[in-house]
Amino acid sequence: MRAGRRSARDPVDGSVRDLPPGTSADLRVTKSAWTTIRFANGRIHQPHLERSTHVSFRVADGLRLGTATTGDASANGLATVREAARTLARVAPVEPKFPGFSSGGGRPLSPVPFSRATATISPEAATRIAERILAAAEHGAPGGRIAGVVNVGGETLRVVNSSGLDRTDVRSVVQASVLVDRPELDPPVSGWSEGGHWDVSALDPERLGREAAERVARSAPESVPPGNYPVVFRGPALAEALQFLGSLGFSGHAEVEGWSCLRRARGKRIAPEFVTLVDDPRSPVTTPQAIDYEGTPTRRFPLVDHGIAGEAVTDLVTAGRLGRKLTGHAFPPEAPWGEYGPDASHLVLSAGDASEDELIRETRRGLLVTRFHYVRVVDPGKGVITGMTRDGTYRIERGEVVGPVRNLRFTDSVLTLLKGIELLGRERCLYAGERGMSCYTTPAAAVRSFRFTSATLF
Amino acid sequence: MEDLLRIALSAAGTSGIAYADVRVVAPQRSLHLAVRDGGASALTDARSQGLGVRVRTDRAWGFATTSELSTTSARTTARLAARLARASGRTAPERLRVTEDAGPRDGRYASVVHQDPFEVPREEIVALLSEAESRLHVSREVKSGLASFQAWEETKEFASSDGATFRSRIVQVGAGLSATAVRGSMVQRRSAPSSFGGDFAQAGFEFVQSLGLVERAQAVGQEAARLLDAPACPTGTTTLVLGSDQLALQVHESVGHAVELDRIFGTEAGFAGTSWVGAEKVGHLRYGSDAMNVVADATEPGGLGTFGWDDEGVPAQRIPIVDHGTLVGVLSSRESAARLGLPRSGGTARADGAGFAPLVRMTNIDLLPGELSFAELLEGVDDGVYVETDRSWSIDDKRLNFQFGTEVGHRIVHGEIGELVRNPIYSGMGPEFWSSMDAVGNASTWHLWGLPNCGKGQPVQLARVSHGAPAARFRRVAVRGG
Repeated sequence: MRAGRRSARDPVDGSVRDLPPGTSADLRVTKSAWTTIRFANGRIHQPHLERSTHVSFRVADGLRLGTATTGDASANGLATVREAARTLARVAPVEPKFPGFSSGGGRPLSPVPFSRATATISPEAATRIAERILAAAEHGAPGGRIAGVVNVGGETLRVVNSSGLDRTDVRSVVQASVLVDRPELDPPVSGWSEGGHWDVSALDPERLGREAAERVARSAPESVPPGNYPVVFRGPALAEALQFLGSLGFSGHAEVEGWSCLRRARGKRIAPEFVTLVDDPRSPVTTPQAIDYEGTPTRRFPLVDHGIAGEAVTDLVTAGRLGRKLTGHAFPPEAPWGEYGPDASHLVLSAGDASEDELIRETRRGLLVTRFHYVRVVDPGKGVITGMTRDGTYRIERGEVVGPVRNLRFTDSVLTLLKGIELLGRERCLYAGERGMSCYTTPAAAVRSFRFTSATLF
Repeated sequence: MEDLLRIALSAAGTSGIAYADVRVVAPQRSLHLAVRDGGASALTDARSQGLGVRVRTDRAWGFATTSELSTTSARTTARLAARLARASGRTAPERLRVTEDAGPRDGRYASVVHQDPFEVPREEIVALLSEAESRLHVSREVKSGLASFQAWEETKEFASSDGATFRSRIVQVGAGLSATAVRGSMVQRRSAPSSFGGDFAQAGFEFVQSLGLVERAQAVGQEAARLLDAPACPTGTTTLVLGSDQLALQVHESVGHAVELDRIFGTEAGFAGTSWVGAEKVGHLRYGSDAMNVVADATEPGGLGTFGWDDEGVPAQRIPIVDHGTLVGVLSSRESAARLGLPRSGGTARADGAGFAPLVRMTNIDLLPGELSFAELLEGVDDGVYVETDRSWSIDDKRLNFQFGTEVGHRIVHGEIGELVRNPIYSGMGPEFWSSMDAVGNASTWHLWGLPNCGKGQPVQLARVSHGAPAARFRRVAVRGG
């Protein structure tokens, strides 16, 4: 990461200069190289390789904002996209509290972890990772049906604005997941594992394949009635719940519109004292990101501090509307990101000291849930979400897992889940979106009670 | 562009490559204008371009894409696709098979557009949105209003090593309104013509003008505020009448995705999931009641899923999916159709621009209208619930257990629409639910709804699809107030 020196010949820099009086601008140039290897039914079936450039140009004509994007970063492309953004800005409604673009002053920031080998991986090396996962899963569960994905690559983000800011960040990400399914059982059962890192050499493909295979039950699932159960949530399930807590509780956009589920809980206890949740894009346990999409340096931002709810995160527009400081959580201003507003996207939940076996033992009687499927918001003001369990839901009796159960639909508040955390696991894993724009580092957790409202047939 | 297609095909045609196709999309363009609470929520003019090369060895596919349109980049991208295919086939256990569909020679397709949305002055659109959005704020409890407009253009050239070529230009457009009312921890939203951006069609700006956003805005704001005082939807097992826009989403989630042949064969198992429909059941599976008739119609005028040829060069088709309650067809690509033993692809392999490989996607999946007027649907319902406009939706990974929440509900009392109720939620299992459909509304209740945001695949790509749906009546459905 650097605060760059400007070159008169640099078309990117030049495009935010020489603007008409009263006009300002910021610009993002993203150069990406990603490889995605999907596998299913014992073979790689959808390999995908992408080399792309994306330019996002936002113009402020006074307090009127317009954004245009292009895939053409040439001088002509930049001139065209600038004019398109200006055209929109001229006709935009006034954003009366827009604070203006940030300057690039301040101390140079230290770099965040980055792996060049990950960002420049070859097609052959990427497919080899998928093959290793497949082989390990097939070895662990002969005859199982295996499906999964490896996403690996990186991108360079440069943010420049007319107030003198010029910062560049490089990111690298590898993310992989694997599902092992035993279709011969009726109904079938499946096991799941996933992992991620910023350094491809830290990913253990064999462990992923082996773990998914080990987690497949040996017997068909039983039915359990809907109701409230104590639950041990494995990392992938908890990560998804935290994602919704972030958007429903800590988004500046939700705060502006008055529907944040935490708008009356700031500074109050919403979780036990041992629960701390931070947004920490600079941490090596996330997919590190040194700046946000407005060029603001990222930093460790407490969301839940020893159980106490913190403030919402902001970007330029929401900071202006709320009259608060900029926190460095901007996403690209173009639609649809611009409509969603800022997001806490690098969440890290504190670890406890329990193993998964200890979480299960302390729960005594309840359910073990591996992951969720198709989670949607039911009531944003109360943080209520609904979704299904999948790929490994088990019954706990007398502190032991006694067998798989058919998947259940839950409908409950993320606040209920958070408040009900009784124990946290000691091992944390990274669960990343496919290109690491968002990631969640979390242990497993034992939760006092969670509401399941119906069951499915498998 | 023809040069780029030729160069990429030539570069892909290296040793061991059995087939290649190339798509150049330039421009791929979108215009998204949204006014929220008097300010600019998002005003974005997005233009991109790209070249995508897909190759096949006898064992595996390879796909590579670039946003740089140059001869050098076309060659490099094609070679990368070939490398990826060869690497992907190293451990493939069996040969790939595809159907023998012959593509078009110099095909042409263009949307019917009376007023190009990209030529309409931006200030005219923003003024329309601002006027409509301002009318949403009918009370202090309406904390947020949103009026939005979206338009897309995709100009595409396709060529394959089989000699197929076509060009197409597709223009799609839509707009909508929503008002959010807040009191304490209660949040109520009302949208029009429907939620998640409104309604969309393959058409020009004339479609947006037909939506009457300004005229309907005040009523939308008023209903959002009224919902704060409405009683919760009653809980119980009851007769449920779904409005057309809600039934469109029900079709999407519990029919459209369930009959995608790639899901049925397990190739989406690791992400989107599979299907409760088994491949061996196509042709005789009982999907719903006799009143249920569904088609996938990629030739339907105005649909977001209407085109000349899919992204494998297979012509658009109208495919029966459910005939009087029996599953008779599926959505397929050349590879998945061959695996099922079909002689031809159903022509539903679609990609989100040149940046993605085609997947089995929906086109326009329609529930065909029945015989009854809306009033006749309500007749005989002494005590039931009518709902419309989706608020939350969730379904399991085999497309069986679903739960939908809607923005608004009304009690049905003695065959008449009664009081407004808030937070209706209904749930069920797909086959039971469709079997409980005992009456389907006629053409006067039917509408072709555009859904612009169907996500699928890894990396995730979006498809724009449409669903024609009438209002319809379902018996013995679990309904509750959230």
